[in-house]
Amino acid sequence: MTDPSIAAMFGIFSILLLATAGADSKRPYINDKKAPDSRHDLEVIEKHLIEALPASRQATVCIELGEGSGSGVVVSKDGLILSAAHVTGGVGREFTVIFEDGKKVKAESLGLVANSDCAMARITEEGTYPFVEVDRGDTTKLGDWVYALGHSGGFDKERGVVVRLGRVVQVKNDTVQSDCSLIGGDSGGPLFDLNGKLVAIHSRVDGSVQVNLHVPMREFVKNWEGLENGEFIGEGPFAKKPEKGKGFLGIGTESRKEGGLTIEKVGRESPAEKAGLKSGDILLKLDGIELSSKDQLSDLLKEKAPDDRVALELLRDDGPEILTLRLGER
Amino acid sequence: MTDRKFSPYDSVNARTSISAFLIATAPLASGSQTLEWTYRTNGPEVKSSFESVRTVLQSSSAVIKRGRKEISYGTVMTPDGFILTKASEIGDGLGLSIIVDTQTYKNPVVLDTDPGWDVALLKIEATGLRPVELALDMPDPQRGVWVVANGSTSRRLRRPQVGIIAANAREILPAGGAVLGVTLESSDDRLRVTEVHESSGAEIAGMKAGDVILSAAGKSIKDRDELSKVMEKLRVNDDLTLRVERDGEEIELSIRLSGRVDLFGEDVSRNDMMSGRYSARRSGFPRVIQHDIIANNTDMGGPLLDLSGRCLGMNIARASRCETYAIPAGDLRSLADRLITQATK
Repeated sequence: MTDPSIAAMFGIFSILLLATAGADSKRPYINDKKAPDSRHDLEVIEKHLIEALPASRQATVCIELGEGSGSGVVVSKDGLILSAAHVTGGVGREFTVIFEDGKKVKAESLGLVANSDCAMARITEEGTYPFVEVDRGDTTKLGDWVYALGHSGGFDKERGVVVRLGRVVQVKNDTVQSDCSLIGGDSGGPLFDLNGKLVAIHSRVDGSVQVNLHVPMREFVKNWEGLENGEFIGEGPFAKKPEKGKGFLGIGTESRKEGGLTIEKVGRESPAEKAGLKSGDILLKLDGIELSSKDQLSDLLKEKAPDDRVALELLRDDGPEILTLRLGER
Repeated sequence: MTDRKFSPYDSVNARTSISAFLIATAPLASGSQTLEWTYRTNGPEVKSSFESVRTVLQSSSAVIKRGRKEISYGTVMTPDGFILTKASEIGDGLGLSIIVDTQTYKNPVVLDTDPGWDVALLKIEATGLRPVELALDMPDPQRGVWVVANGSTSRRLRRPQVGIIAANAREILPAGGAVLGVTLESSDDRLRVTEVHESSGAEIAGMKAGDVILSAAGKSIKDRDELSKVMEKLRVNDDLTLRVERDGEEIELSIRLSGRVDLFGEDVSRNDMMSGRYSARRSGFPRVIQHDIIANNTDMGGPLLDLSGRCLGMNIARASRCETYAIPAGDLRSLADRLITQATK
């Protein structure tokens, strides 16, 4: 099977396949006009919007995390979410997402790209969720008509998801600018083309109402694997990399003659308390390393950063037990 | 604040600022592509395709001026010159002039205002005006429907500003809730008024410091909690009947409730900081439709039109950077009928 003509044919075949897959959502002619010039043109934009909006709205979620809220959008049946790095703020953060109808589910942040403001998360409750298609082919061009969705200013069931219409007014490497006006709470929300394909994620705005910036899908696609694997990519400014030595567990221990450490105190609201550690538990190992002194534990923790996952082997009344948890920030 | 970049990430409840506040990002990279201004959503080339709707703005919207300054727009309701506008933008309503089409009308009369909707009824001496055609036979317009409103204006020409319906029609509760406008002190099961605030419903009804509240809406009151329970069901401009004890005598007062924010003002949130010139009165409306037309506080009061030039409502508040509210056509009809009937009785 080294016949070069077969290989070439195969190449052509796959190109055809791609072309067919792209053809089912045709590029609206209105995008290739400099400006609409008739009522019919305007009605075409309106018709696209009204047809595409129900599905886009269903997949747009409010993300409630810490003191604030942002938005996100579901891109797979099992609940993969795209959002902004400054919304999820880190890797492995747990939060609640709210769909437009008020349905709340638990989710966890995966990876992020700190220098361009990409983030991924996933819904941790099993189920099937409404989702939208990602414009992986990066087909959006300058001047294309787009619409922004988001839970502007936070979740409001009576109001629902807020939509804004605009055009792509500037394209740069890792940013697109539109004239869809965004506000606090929209961050991480989706920007769609007229076929309802996801083309970008809202990132930031300028004091001027005309300046609204989004992260294009190509930036997500480029980093997709790392995002899925929970990697912290880049150095900022949209998220701060967890610093080694700032990892926080939240227990007070005493050495134990028979080996291991006895947990004397568990801090209120600490990662240890949330994971279910109790005073009286005996801590035998951290990440497989046998513990023999307080100093040793503290040295091991100094090598850890906030959001790092650690495995704790405990000895309890009913036998040994392993708990894994994510460290907090000191 | 041109070089300041905000991150659109906001606190849900208090709408206060949080740490994710970004300042200045990299300047424009060379090689970036930029769309010419005229082709942007509200650029002249795009807006010229709305010419047929613009002609409706030309004939059926009003420009309200104080001196040379445009302070608000208005919606023409009848051929003989009844015009509605946003009440809180026209102040005392004295010394105004109004332009409809190319005609200027001096000293319109403010016949009435409705504080609930924040709408004023004006009258000019005119005949043969073209009132808006209210879209009464349609349900609330859905998200995505084009809308057109007054943009900038010259003495002769109305210009459009365009957008789409953006959210569900709904009531906008008054920010901060409804209040009497008094300071209270509670002791020994007696709730005493210690201060009556200026221009509050309580002051207008004649409440005095020292009054002791005995009952509200027929329910006996001993402390704040009991009064709060009665108040929580009420809205701005509802009337609350209070029995109070003053100098050993019992008297009855009917107090019109004010919006907390209208009376005491509100803190500027981070979202407000990025919202330009929004309306001072932007909450406490019985029902609105929401759209994404970019506007200033002085751009309210005019009609909101669809592609056929039919009037979907009247713009009543610029609420934030991305939210503009309009009174729906049906509600506008009943409101206009009520105000005009009262004024011509």
